[in-house]
Amino acid sequence: MTSTPLPTLLSILQVFLNLLIFLALAPLFDGIVRRVTARVQNRQGPPLVQSLYDILKLLGKENIDSTGILPFKLAPLIAFASMLCVIAILPMAGRATALTQYADAISLVYLLTLGGVAVLLGAFASKNIYALIGASREMTTMIMVEPILFMILLLGVLKTGSLDLGAVIYGTPMAAFGLPGVVMIVVSLFGLQAFVARQPFDMAEAEQELLGGPFIEYSGPNYALFKYYMMLKQMFYAYLPIAMFVPLLGTGFYLADLALQLALTALVFLLIGLLSATHPRYRIDQAIRYFGVLFLIALGAIAAAVVL
Amino acid sequence: MDQSIYQSLQTGIGLLLGCAVITPWLSGKRQWAGALNFLATLAAGLVFSGLAIQVLNGNSAPASFDLHVDLPWGGLAIPLLIDGFSAVFIVLISLVAAVTAFYCIGYMEMDHYRHYSLRSFHFCYPVFIAGMIALVTVDDLSTGFTIAWQMMTLASFFLIRFDHKDPVIVRSANKYLILMELAWAAVLAAGLMIPGCGWGTPLHQIADQLGMLDTGLRTLMLALVLLGFGMKAGMFPLGQLWLPDAHSVAPSPISALLSGVMLKTGIYGMLRTLFWMTPESMPARELQYWGLAVALIGVVTLFIGTSQSLKQVDAKRLNAYSSIGQIGYIILAIGAARFYLGPDAALHTLALLAILGAFLHVLNHAIFKSLLFLCVGSVQYTTGTKDLDKLGGLFALMPVTAIIAGIAAIAVSGVPAFSGFTSKWAIVASTLLSGKAAGIFVIFGVVALVTSAMTLATYVKLYGMTFTSVGVEWNEKNNVHEVSKAMLAPKAILAAVCLLQGFFPWLFVALFGRVLATSEGTLSQALGTPAVFDTLAQSYSGIRFLGSAGTPVAFSLPLVMVAMLLVAGLVALWLRRAGGAEERSAPVWLCGYQTLNNANRYLSSHIFDAFKKFMKWTGGNVRA
Repeated sequence: MTSTPLPTLLSILQVFLNLLIFLALAPLFDGIVRRVTARVQNRQGPPLVQSLYDILKLLGKENIDSTGILPFKLAPLIAFASMLCVIAILPMAGRATALTQYADAISLVYLLTLGGVAVLLGAFASKNIYALIGASREMTTMIMVEPILFMILLLGVLKTGSLDLGAVIYGTPMAAFGLPGVVMIVVSLFGLQAFVARQPFDMAEAEQELLGGPFIEYSGPNYALFKYYMMLKQMFYAYLPIAMFVPLLGTGFYLADLALQLALTALVFLLIGLLSATHPRYRIDQAIRYFGVLFLIALGAIAAAVVL
Repeated sequence: MDQSIYQSLQTGIGLLLGCAVITPWLSGKRQWAGALNFLATLAAGLVFSGLAIQVLNGNSAPASFDLHVDLPWGGLAIPLLIDGFSAVFIVLISLVAAVTAFYCIGYMEMDHYRHYSLRSFHFCYPVFIAGMIALVTVDDLSTGFTIAWQMMTLASFFLIRFDHKDPVIVRSANKYLILMELAWAAVLAAGLMIPGCGWGTPLHQIADQLGMLDTGLRTLMLALVLLGFGMKAGMFPLGQLWLPDAHSVAPSPISALLSGVMLKTGIYGMLRTLFWMTPESMPARELQYWGLAVALIGVVTLFIGTSQSLKQVDAKRLNAYSSIGQIGYIILAIGAARFYLGPDAALHTLALLAILGAFLHVLNHAIFKSLLFLCVGSVQYTTGTKDLDKLGGLFALMPVTAIIAGIAAIAVSGVPAFSGFTSKWAIVASTLLSGKAAGIFVIFGVVALVTSAMTLATYVKLYGMTFTSVGVEWNEKNNVHEVSKAMLAPKAILAAVCLLQGFFPWLFVALFGRVLATSEGTLSQALGTPAVFDTLAQSYSGIRFLGSAGTPVAFSLPLVMVAMLLVAGLVALWLRRAGGAEERSAPVWLCGYQTLNNANRYLSSHIFDAFKKFMKWTGGNVRA
């Protein structure tokens, strides 16, 4: 039996700080994307905090239940909760939270999947044909994209021989990743739009053809939870490669590291906005082929990391 | 030699065989016969469990003895061996058999089965169970093996062809019989062809003899045995030949037994072959090659099996293909453990993690897959169909079954804190952590992870298209209702066990420790030592796996996860209510279509269409 070191007050605070940062910044980052899209289209665009206003407004709007069964009501709760858990265990800027020691890289990936499952559960419960088409596309994307994300983390696992999140994400200096690391950075750039489910990979929601896909029957607070979940998820996916591949400053100041990481995450969202404003949507079969190639490249990088 | 173990075994088998003789005479009173069958199975199960507890509690390692049967034309001596490993399989078989027997009482009253006599069913059921128990206790590859295998195979053959008026079912059953006899022939041939071995030679002697053979012949012998047991377990490509057909046509409780426990006898055989029949004198390299070969087969099995499962529209075929996939995980873990037990001592701890994963997945899969088959059986009982294209919307009509099926579905998908998670975590972690020491296993681990996403997709589809969405109201039967309490109770028991397995994995790690302590052979010698076993640090909340420096490198802590998710869920619930929004129910918005009807519906066969096309090369495709 090993005894777990008691969580310090600081690490408990860290959990709340993580949640605060994510809950506060995710809507702003979403705002960046909306603003960039607007500028590309020669529009003024909404204020940066518009997405937060949207959520607050939705929370007060009428909640319409079209099915009356439990899974429909449970789905938004599970989705939002699973994402909160992911954030709570994430070691930001190299500092582990009180909960990091209770989850490894495998549990992180499965927790992320749980959020996706909740979206699907809600979609299947909706009795709506568009929701089902969206769910089918969402699941297909998930099968292809989650493993790519995991392989990015796996690089850290291979270097440190541990599945502990702190070790996986921060345990390896950038130079030690070598060529596989460079390949993986390229992969995460090319996979970025798919990770955050933005154009050209927003087949699941595809407002113009599926009217929001899995979320079509949701309204009011339920929809607000799903929207918030999506924003948090996007911020997580944009943040993760930064944490993995951009070395910490090493000044010893947590806040300096954190500020750098968040600034870079904001830059990533700028990129996301530009890419999604300038790219048309793929069909699902085209997307699968794209992911297939990306998957093979990532697998190649892993193989190289094992051999080299 | 402990006499009481021997006597308990005899009593249990005697109870089952006695029941097989008596019950068929009562089959006019169908429910009475069913109840008697259940009582006998339960009584035998209790006797067997007592025996197993005695073995697992004992401080002396295995009980082995010879069973002497005096026949008019001479005596038969059958070597038996009951160690920790057999004990766990015995308990597993007893539990699932008793629960399923209870379910059968109600299920066999299904409209479709009304006109079938239950005489042969009630003869075969106990014989089938007795055969499985016998198979995990006999210690040879000839006499005892033949008797046990034939009891199991012939009885299950008649159970599968229960609905014998349908030629398709009879054909599937015949195919099953032929392939199982081939598997028997392969194992028996190996058992008799090894020089110095004949009828009734116990395994440890076979192992000694194998050690003296030259490499080529030894490879052939081991390959034959693995082929035989692999065929039973559902290994690629042999499993695809019989498993989906046989499992989907049998009555659902029988499918539960086939998938839940019968496949595990094949796994049991593979374990015995790889860890008990491999002599000490065998070169370590050669053993590692066996491990690699088995692991490779396991990876192919899990990937192909699961991707075929994703394509199915028949709920039972979907479950059957998924069984192949899940068995693949177990085979992968067994192969990995064999490989890691090489000269590199640093890998030995990973071998422990891998074999623990295999052990947990055997237990977990037995429970959740039986449960899934029983749930699909209940759906079939009340709606008369298992076609996912015709089902949908059952959550409102049969909520208890829906919730139980939900537990089983998230367990098989490996959602954190449910039972599939810990076993898959152990298997995947053991492959990934090998790093450069066994690079190919890292790739295997990635494939296993991709596959668990596909498993998830499969069960999201099964659950979504059966219990949520819409469709059943346009089915031929319109009086769909929840099944009786007698059919819910067995499922509730299995669901409780399933949750227990998920939330308290450390209980089963402790059990595994007892298994290693009460068995002999390579596994116990290499992994049963305190030094190695201490790498699995357990606490109330789950398991941590320690690295060489003693710091935890991988964790599965379901209770913490559940607590975290609950707290976060409460926060979400608060947020949902914070705005004081009103609630209202309204019909589905159909974008202009006035009413929802059968023609305006997204069918199960449409789901994942693009992905199914992408994976066409993996086979198992359903009509376009």
